[in-house]
Amino acid sequence: MNAIPHAEIEAVAKLEIRNLDFYYGASKALKAITLDLKANKATAFIGPSGCGKSTLLRVLNRMYDLYPNQRAEGEVLLDGENILDPDLDLNMLRARVGMVFQKPTPFPMSIYDNIAFGIRLYEKLSKSELDARVESSLRRSALWEEVKDKLASSGLGLSGGQQQRLCIARSVAISPEVILFDEPCSALDPISTAKIEELIDELTEDYTIAIVTHNMQQAARVSHYTAFMYLGELIEFGDTDRVFTSPREKRTQDYITGRFG
Amino acid sequence: MTLYPARRRRNAMWMTLSVAAAAFGLSWLLLILGVLFWRGLGGLSLAVFTQMTPPPGSDGGLLNAIAGSLMMTVIGVALGAPLGMLAGTYLAEYGRHSNLAFVVRFINDILLSAPSIVIGLFIYQVMVAPMGHFSGIAGAVSLAVLVVPVVVRTTEDMLNLVPNTLREAGSALGMPRSLVIQRIGYRAARTGILTGVLLATARISGETAPLLFTALNNQFWSLNLNAPVSSLPAVIFQFALSPYKEWQQLAWTGALIITLAVLTLSVSARMLAARGTLK
Repeated sequence: MNAIPHAEIEAVAKLEIRNLDFYYGASKALKAITLDLKANKATAFIGPSGCGKSTLLRVLNRMYDLYPNQRAEGEVLLDGENILDPDLDLNMLRARVGMVFQKPTPFPMSIYDNIAFGIRLYEKLSKSELDARVESSLRRSALWEEVKDKLASSGLGLSGGQQQRLCIARSVAISPEVILFDEPCSALDPISTAKIEELIDELTEDYTIAIVTHNMQQAARVSHYTAFMYLGELIEFGDTDRVFTSPREKRTQDYITGRFG
Repeated sequence: MTLYPARRRRNAMWMTLSVAAAAFGLSWLLLILGVLFWRGLGGLSLAVFTQMTPPPGSDGGLLNAIAGSLMMTVIGVALGAPLGMLAGTYLAEYGRHSNLAFVVRFINDILLSAPSIVIGLFIYQVMVAPMGHFSGIAGAVSLAVLVVPVVVRTTEDMLNLVPNTLREAGSALGMPRSLVIQRIGYRAARTGILTGVLLATARISGETAPLLFTALNNQFWSLNLNAPVSSLPAVIFQFALSPYKEWQQLAWTGALIITLAVLTLSVSARMLAARGTLK
């Protein structure tokens, strides 16, 4: 499908998706997807609604497991270990693969507890260590300056963009290896969107990022690699610059030039 | 434009009818409250809260009845509310689309509208008859049976209002299901669930029929759960039907006390619910 440029061979694969099929009951939503997510890179998934990009993302942390009648076949290797293995400890997987959702989802508790909550699931820290971790997570998500004086107030009182950054801080706080973003900016205004995009860019220093987006400029701005999906199939995958400037597939070109989708 | 005046007239007419209907309904509540205050307030004295129910023809209070009512209500809620919350949690979180949940929900709805006298007869049959005597615990259990369906329903409804994205967000942090329910589900739904418990408490604190078959009544001070226990509704029932002036006065006073208690519970439940939705 694509001749891999030299630069892409250099990066190590963090997640290897091999021949992945996905079913909602009897209907097949993903068809034989094979691609790699490279370590410390951002990979964007684009495509029209219903193409399966969010479904693919929800396989990577087995979120679909919450619902009956949804199942995946194939292999997804995280550092070589198949995460579709039914015996896998789901909670440990989700500690390694964090997720940020389309709508901001702060928990109904204080800003501080929103962050501390996840940390307490995995580590027993002293008060001062916990404080330090909360602060560094909030700094990491560029929210600290805005909330440092009101850590005890409800996370629900923040603006949409702040809530989304709180959710990113919450994910970062438990030191995952991969962070999945499911259309993280679709409910946000342009300024908040710019902040989140900048943040995603910085996060690739430490994390492997996968981002689903409807916004092609966003994909072009934040990602190193882009996957274009259509009707459950992976149509084209490669270097973001290359996919946007000289797509090899006609459907990719039609989509990114706005002819459909 | 020619239709506009007619529409305005129709609007005014229906508006008047609606307001009149609301005023009609409210006026009965006000009348009831007015009569209760008028007849009951005069008898309200310290003696009501410090003395036992008297024999006919002498003065006394309602202490044993108030204490019995409080005891059975508290035990009824303590037994019924946790059970109802657990069942409601099952329906909303685990069973959502299972056949068992469907059956449980259906039975719960029947229980919700079951006449309380039937509940009283049922407890009479399964507790009072085998034990051989009326008892406070039988009264408390019959009240608990009334609490359960209300709490099941409100718990399920309130947990259903918690957005699924919030559950997913919890799971995405690697939280096990039980923790997602306890720390996030209950937390998001707590005012609603508490409101349900308060409303259930208000409902059972005025129930008479189930107590007549179970706790019966007791003229003397007794908090013995294994013996008949007095209660405000039962005393009101007995005293109001009696020919004695003093008893009738105590019945009015008891009715006022019970109404104020229920009103306070209901109003605080509503205030709690309002605060919950504002947040």
